[in-house]
Amino acid sequence: MNMALDAQSEFSDEALLVLYGNGDDRAARALAARLLPRVLSYATRVLRDPAEAEDVAQEAMLRLWRIAPEWRQGEAKVSTWLYRVVANLCTDRLRKGRMADIDAVTEPADDSPGAEAQLQQAARLAALDGALAELPERQRQAVVLRHIEGLANPEIAEILEISVEAVESLTARGKRALAAALAGRREELGYDDG
Amino acid sequence: MTMADERMTDTDELELLFAAARDAAPVPSDGLLARVLADAEAEQARPAPALIRPEGGLLARAMRQIGGWPALAGLATATLAGVWIGYAQPAGLDGLTDTVWQGDAAGYDLVEMIPSLDGYLTEGGV
Repeated sequence: MNMALDAQSEFSDEALLVLYGNGDDRAARALAARLLPRVLSYATRVLRDPAEAEDVAQEAMLRLWRIAPEWRQGEAKVSTWLYRVVANLCTDRLRKGRMADIDAVTEPADDSPGAEAQLQQAARLAALDGALAELPERQRQAVVLRHIEGLANPEIAEILEISVEAVESLTARGKRALAAALAGRREELGYDDG
Repeated sequence: MTMADERMTDTDELELLFAAARDAAPVPSDGLLARVLADAEAEQARPAPALIRPEGGLLARAMRQIGGWPALAGLATATLAGVWIGYAQPAGLDGLTDTVWQGDAAGYDLVEMIPSLDGYLTEGGV
């Protein structure tokens, strides 16, 4: 593998996409290394089903490969475009009701040794996922993009195709609802230790 | 504990949970990565998209070169007018023709630009 085109390379996502569109197959590897983890993370948090999230991630990347020859440079960030594809794919799947029951899927437990702290961490994450699953779909997407993926509000507005004010409103309401859902579980999740 | 303290604590906990979720982000499996790269390779192998290829056949492309149907209509009109003028010889054209041609009186002056070949043939005295 050419190290100049790995995930840490200086090339922008857009430059890599253009290289890929021009027939450079190393650019695909670099783009996948850079974008696939983000796409998968977002889809997993929103869908709560690892298999469905993998499907969505693969489909979103496929659409990226297909758009490459026609990509219009300078119009949108590649990652923003890709997040929007994932958001729409997740919305489709959630609305089709094909998702597993929200209580049926939990994070795979980490059973490595000496892991009381890890067990507690797993319990916390499961609690967060459970609380996220209770949120209305758009709130959930906005909260995941803002607080887990760490994106800025204007970018989230572009991804969800709503105004920045609407993003602020969604994330604020989402956080309030999460706080309320988790309020009764503070002791259970080990936040009263200190 | 006041309500404000309570809310603050909730927010802190949420931030901790979000941070934990960021740390525990799923890593794409080798299988998924392989499928994604196989898709990339398959898409790259496809022929260039149709919109890059010129549409239509030779005639359609020639039409686009000269400006499409409106240009062709103008061209056809000009052609027909030329044919009509050639055959009908409208009276008004005679005057113009005479001016340019200056009638039979002026005639042609035939100038021999190249001397007769005989000169060269006799030069050698053969």
